[in-house]
Amino acid sequence: MAGESTIGPDGLFHNAEVTTSGRPVLRRNEVECFLLSSVDLDSEDDPPRFASLRSGNLILTTHRLIWIPSSSQSNASLPPSSLPLASVTHIFSHKKSIKSMFHSPRIRFQVDSVVVVTIVFRGKGDFDGFLTKFWECWRGRAWEEDEKRESEASGSGTGAGTVAQGLYGNDGTVRMVGLAGILRKEQEQWESTDKSLQDAFQDLNALMSKAKEMVSLAEKMRQKLLSAPSSSQNGSGDDEEMGSKEEMQQWMLSVGIISPVTKESAGALYHQELSRQLADFVRIPLEQAGGMISLTDMYYHFNRARGTELISPDDLWQACTLWEKFDVPVMLRKFDSGVKVIQNKSHSDEEVMSRIRTLVTKTETLRTGVTASDAALTLKIAPAMAKEHLLSAETKGLLCRDMSPDGLRFYFNLFHEFDLTNLHFVKDFGTYGEWVKATTLLSV
Amino acid sequence: MRRRPGIGGLQKAAAARDQYRLLGENVAKLRTDMMKEQLATFKSQLEEFARKHKNDIRKNPAFRAQFHEMCAKVGVDPLASNKGFWAELLGIGDFYYELGVQIIEVCMLTRSLNGGLISLQELCSHLRQRRKKDREAVTEDDCLRAISKLKVLGSGFEVITIGKKKLVRSVPTELNKDHNQILELAQGQGFVTVEEVQRRLSWSSGRVIDALDTLLEEGLAMIDNGNKDGICQYWFPCVSSVYSFVGSDT
Repeated sequence: MAGESTIGPDGLFHNAEVTTSGRPVLRRNEVECFLLSSVDLDSEDDPPRFASLRSGNLILTTHRLIWIPSSSQSNASLPPSSLPLASVTHIFSHKKSIKSMFHSPRIRFQVDSVVVVTIVFRGKGDFDGFLTKFWECWRGRAWEEDEKRESEASGSGTGAGTVAQGLYGNDGTVRMVGLAGILRKEQEQWESTDKSLQDAFQDLNALMSKAKEMVSLAEKMRQKLLSAPSSSQNGSGDDEEMGSKEEMQQWMLSVGIISPVTKESAGALYHQELSRQLADFVRIPLEQAGGMISLTDMYYHFNRARGTELISPDDLWQACTLWEKFDVPVMLRKFDSGVKVIQNKSHSDEEVMSRIRTLVTKTETLRTGVTASDAALTLKIAPAMAKEHLLSAETKGLLCRDMSPDGLRFYFNLFHEFDLTNLHFVKDFGTYGEWVKATTLLSV
Repeated sequence: MRRRPGIGGLQKAAAARDQYRLLGENVAKLRTDMMKEQLATFKSQLEEFARKHKNDIRKNPAFRAQFHEMCAKVGVDPLASNKGFWAELLGIGDFYYELGVQIIEVCMLTRSLNGGLISLQELCSHLRQRRKKDREAVTEDDCLRAISKLKVLGSGFEVITIGKKKLVRSVPTELNKDHNQILELAQGQGFVTVEEVQRRLSWSSGRVIDALDTLLEEGLAMIDNGNKDGICQYWFPCVSSVYSFVGSDT
């Protein structure tokens, strides 16, 4: 049990018992929840209400905050101390400010409505996790249950409650601490969550029936507003309708119904804004990627840059489809294979085609052809895009393909150069001639 | 309304039309107001739900899965937009969109080894390794939902079932039935031989070689020609359970 000697004039801290290896002795039902090293406990008031406890390990349990001096220091003057959570009256919320970025993280809490204690974290650790656990343990009020149990047990014979818990002996010595205790606590939490889960399911059902109502209502509104042709004569009516169509889209978005951007509507205001934002953002990645970037890459880069409040893939898609309504220098394009890319409007296919043509009519490539990776290197574009370009060049008749165990290669399409009236005539001019020169082995 | 001839009749008809139009607009406005009200009620109900159960959704995968199923039945998509009430109030948007980003990352990193086809199990274990610091567990169901959202991006993200396993595709390569059957066969030992496929599926050797060549081309299969008996083995990293990706860290 806790000793009587205290630190400071108000008897704030109690002495904490530790084992020979420096681990705290936990009481019955007390479970360790968090451990942090390099922690100071300071008094906020001036003059300080108690002597500061510097540089120790802070252990949060379900019942107490225990501070143990780190063994590296000779803190003989400062014995291990504990503070019962029962005497904590308030935990201050942790405000993040510019100043706080340079200081070590701190948490302040109030004890006995009078004294304010500051925990200073000088080491590395999960402070937010600690704060969360601190709240949980404090709210959990595990000591009240103990009192209840003790008053019950005292009336119903000796040692009734001991064996049931199994973790601690009668004399308070520790059998298993730390991990096993935490696991058991989790198990208990799980079981108690079961009951609260039942409530959760009930609430979920109620919510879903409301959502159903919303869906049918939204459908009715949508039918009316979006499909009906503009009926009013005056111009202002059109604007109004446009505004309410936008509003309609926003509502449906809120409820969770994806509606496609139609010719009449400009989509929800959110998507319009996002669309402009994206057009600005995409400029630099596009340049780096050589004028074309896949929608997937875009999603990846944009969300990574955002960090939080990420956008959904559907958001991205909707926003990109809106580009054709605005005057932006980028466009969305879909290839036959289903791949969707973003490209500069100025990035014309013609330009790429001419670059490919130049590539395949070189002597080397007349002989050996190009693969997608060769094209990617020479044209300085992503390999996936290179393949798409080669395929579309083939569709246009510029290239021929050759599938072999070596892979897929593309060659200049010489069929165009054949004289259809005289198929066997081997030309010695034009690209045909070049090809003959390139592929003829020098005979000895 | 009695039809009256002449100017008077025309004027009256015009007035009547105007009146009907006004009425119609009023009804529309009424509907809009009602919609706004309903939306506000719904939002506050969702807020209440979120206050009580936001943590349950984050921490309990079974509850989360149930939640998604019910949304699908009702016809709402909680992951449709970042600005939807669901994502904002329940906070699950970021969870799934971030998961999507991580899935893209893993697929990109492993593509050179497996050609763009990775088993769902392997994907999940890669994800768990990356997310070691996060306290929220990621289940296969969560991955499937995140991937279904990625589909709209057009890079071919899809989940296909071959035999007992689920594979995640991240390239636009279409696999036909023949390829799928070979992949299923490969689940046994991680590889197949031409002879085995011929025997088990009763195909002609030409058909077998065709299919295997396409799989090779797309990078989904690898050849092992170094066996003592000289028989060529075609290995499939995506279905092989002996395959482990060593050396990947964040």
